[in-house]
Amino acid sequence: MRTTLGLSWRLLRGGGRNGLLGAGLTLAAVAVSTALLLFAVAVNLAFQGRSDREAWRTPVRAAEGTATAVQAVHQDFVRDRVIVVVDVARLSEGAPAPAGMRAFPKPGEVWMSPGLAELVKRLPPGQLGDRYGKPAGILGDDALVYPGELVAVAGHDRDDPAMKATGRVIPNGSSVPPTPVRDFAGQESMNGMVYRSLAIIASVLMVVPLLVFGGAAARLTVARRDQRLAALRLVGATPAQVIAMTVAEAMLTALGGALAGLAAYAALSPLLSGIEIGGGPWFASDLWPGVLPTLGVIAAVPLLVGVSAVVGLRRVVVSPLGVAKRETPPGMRALRLVGFVAALAVVPMLSRDTSAGIIAVVIGAAFLAINLIGPWVVGIIGRVAARTARGPARLLAARRLVDDPRAAWRTVSGVALTGFVAGFIGLASPDATLFETGTADRLRLSVDAGKAQATVREAKARLREAGLDARVTLDEPGDGPGGPADRDRERLIQISVNGGVDRVDTARTALAGLVPGHVPSTLADDDRVSSYMLGDIRTGTVVVLTVSFLIAIVSAGITAASSVLDRRQTYALLRLAGTPLAILDRARRSETLIPLLVMGGGSLATGVFCALPFASGGLGSTTGVVTLAVTVALGLAGVLGASAISRPLLRSVTANPAPRPD
Amino acid sequence: MAEIVLSGHGLTKSFGSAVALAGVDLAVAPGEALAIMGPSGSGKSTLLHCLAGIMKPDQGEVRLLGQRIDTMGERQRSELRRTRFGFVFQFGQLLPELPAEENVALPLMLGGASRGKAVEAARRWFGPLGLAGMESRRPGELSGGQAQRVAIARALVTKPAVVFADEPTGALDQATGHDTMRLLVEATKHNHASLIVVTHDPNVARWCDRTVEVRDGRLLVPAAAGAPLPGREPNGGPYGGPARPYAANAGPAEPYGGDRPVAGPGRGADTQDFPVVRP
Ligand SMILES: Nc1ncnc2c1ncn2[C@@H]1O[C@H](COP(=O)(O)OP(=O)(O)O)[C@@H](O)[C@H]1O
Ligand SMILES: [Mg+2]
Repeated sequence: MRTTLGLSWRLLRGGGRNGLLGAGLTLAAVAVSTALLLFAVAVNLAFQGRSDREAWRTPVRAAEGTATAVQAVHQDFVRDRVIVVVDVARLSEGAPAPAGMRAFPKPGEVWMSPGLAELVKRLPPGQLGDRYGKPAGILGDDALVYPGELVAVAGHDRDDPAMKATGRVIPNGSSVPPTPVRDFAGQESMNGMVYRSLAIIASVLMVVPLLVFGGAAARLTVARRDQRLAALRLVGATPAQVIAMTVAEAMLTALGGALAGLAAYAALSPLLSGIEIGGGPWFASDLWPGVLPTLGVIAAVPLLVGVSAVVGLRRVVVSPLGVAKRETPPGMRALRLVGFVAALAVVPMLSRDTSAGIIAVVIGAAFLAINLIGPWVVGIIGRVAARTARGPARLLAARRLVDDPRAAWRTVSGVALTGFVAGFIGLASPDATLFETGTADRLRLSVDAGKAQATVREAKARLREAGLDARVTLDEPGDGPGGPADRDRERLIQISVNGGVDRVDTARTALAGLVPGHVPSTLADDDRVSSYMLGDIRTGTVVVLTVSFLIAIVSAGITAASSVLDRRQTYALLRLAGTPLAILDRARRSETLIPLLVMGGGSLATGVFCALPFASGGLGSTTGVVTLAVTVALGLAGVLGASAISRPLLRSVTANPAPRPD
Repeated sequence: MAEIVLSGHGLTKSFGSAVALAGVDLAVAPGEALAIMGPSGSGKSTLLHCLAGIMKPDQGEVRLLGQRIDTMGERQRSELRRTRFGFVFQFGQLLPELPAEENVALPLMLGGASRGKAVEAARRWFGPLGLAGMESRRPGELSGGQAQRVAIARALVTKPAVVFADEPTGALDQATGHDTMRLLVEATKHNHASLIVVTHDPNVARWCDRTVEVRDGRLLVPAAAGAPLPGREPNGGPYGGPARPYAANAGPAEPYGGDRPVAGPGRGADTQDFPVVRP
């Protein structure tokens, strides 16, 4: 084993400039894969972490007689931001401290998150500080969804009206009426669950092309070695030795790549943690996948590469001549098409109500199915092109597609699969017009029908005292948000404030506590969480598309370079015999462009098809169309650019005039 | 002195401090087959590359039909190689994904011929070279000897003035190598092209009209075109007859008298129907 390792190491180093270049390409490919794989894992853990830290704000009703505290949650607003306000009151001495706090807050005490405390200091007290008073303590990070989040925990007496508040709260997401609780463990919020589901889907969209890419990278290592290994077989190395050597060499390279990927990920994670989702960025620890998952990825990547190498080498080992003699690859059967159609047949059965897990599986399957039929379709395109080709460049390209459709597919699969992602997201993204953005100057406050008139008078008095120019009106019964059921119990007070956002915040502050447990809010406020979600889906789209493009372009570049390296002798001899470099280059370009156009278009259409059950914006949605157009443009430019980069390589491998046979 | 197709005068070439050619004079007559021999590393390939316009010599000049080619730019030399020269290398020169006939047709297509015409012209070479039925096989499905014959067809299909071959039989066993070499010499002669072939094998060299030896970048015996080596008999092979005049380059070459292949005595199993040189 030691001699095998030693020999592999020497082979790796002794492979010459081109050999090193090949190993370098593999290393780069594995590094990119590893970094992105870590990212895909971290994303899921990060959302899990947010859910865990947020759970204490979604109280679980205690069984009769076990309650130690009462907890209520509502949202308050300042400028365009949400403040999560948690009201708590102790029922018994046994009540534990809420998350992020050293002790249970005394009645009248308000604890604030660092972000809120900072904001209170910065804004005039009349706009924010007066709502809560001085902070009695600062909440720890373990109580916050993201750094800088605005959270307040207010301690109350158990008989305080805020802890008795009944009636409906304007439905703006995560408000919870006073609930008796045993502790503050809580449970995952709806919102958290939705985000985790989206994260899973996003991971699938990123990991599938990643695996395809990783496989390509692994096969690249073998392609580079098979000729030399066949030679080793010819001189009498045993199959076991050949396998051990290749695997050792491939895994050595892959391990180096995996470590480089880890370093790259560590270097990039400060940048990634700045991506705002759900209203804010991430804690640095969110994007650290943890020791075990990291070790798992670092170990799994070289293992996968090793396995892929063994599979790729089977042919060499079986027959020493197998590689030296290139044979026609076995035809790919139309069976693949059946698999593809079967995967797509399930899609129309999905709907928005299908669980995220199932959606992820189906989308993953459709996605993989594209990868399944990719080489088959490329083969067909190649045969058609070969039959119709007139010029030499076209003919060379077409013959190459027929000869090795898998290799051609590998070059474009990344971008083609990105087409799927773009098609899917482009259609499935909700449209911006679904959400309310106007009426930012009209606050609404729901109130018990019986107290409506008194509350209006009090509100007018408070606003006058705060020096605000505001109009207060009472909606007719039945206009309330709850519909007929609430008609008799609740009324809605409308407060129009003139003079801009800071006046609105002054009004909010003046009206704080007017209706216990309720705060005035605008329509835009109520949609704030939903519009975060819209923005987040856009951010997610950009992230996923960026990742798939990164994979696509790196893989296009790497496969283009490796195909030049693999064929360097033939290219060099053709050039010696006077074949213009431009023809070879044009052939290489068509060889990428033809399958790219067909498969990119095809998988884009498949993505759109898979998104149909979830479509809300419709095909006309501008976001979707823009996403699609940008994707197509970037895809073409990226792949052409990536293969253009290997042009100097082509020039250099063919410039050496000494293919030295002896 | 006989007419001269290709000549090199005072050729020198160094790679860094390593001297590959140290002043070589060499001339080839039309239709002449010249063997270059010598130990490994003596400068044979370098000489071939300089003569073929692949490399520029450091000093000296190379002329094709009296015209300097070593001073041309890369683009012109590339064009020249494609149109006036043919090449046969040891191996790996065929595009693995192209059927044999398209490999042969490629140089014609590069020269602007339509695909149909090019493939048709290419196919005519298969029978005479003992490759009948192999037209649509790919290089990986051919034996080493068959692949070299496809390469010979590809080198000759453009009707070149000179064919360069660098150890064309180096990767073949001896018997196959001899058959291939004989085919190369005969087919080249038949097309009135000159042949410059680098080989290690003295038996292979015997098929040629003349042999020169390279040692340390010099010719052992300076030799004039068409002149027998002093002190040696002409390489008395069966094709050592008078060289043919160089024929004008017009259209794709015709293999062995076009559609009039003449059966003759064969040497190897693969070449039983090899036609005798047209009288
Ligand atoms: N591209 C090159 N770079 C450096 N040295 C070279 C190159 N080509 C040939 N040489 C050197 O020039 C000498 C002659 O090489 P070559 O013509 O290939 O020999 P031959 O073909 O007779 O074996 C050798 O010493 C060789 O090492
Ligand atoms: Mg040589």
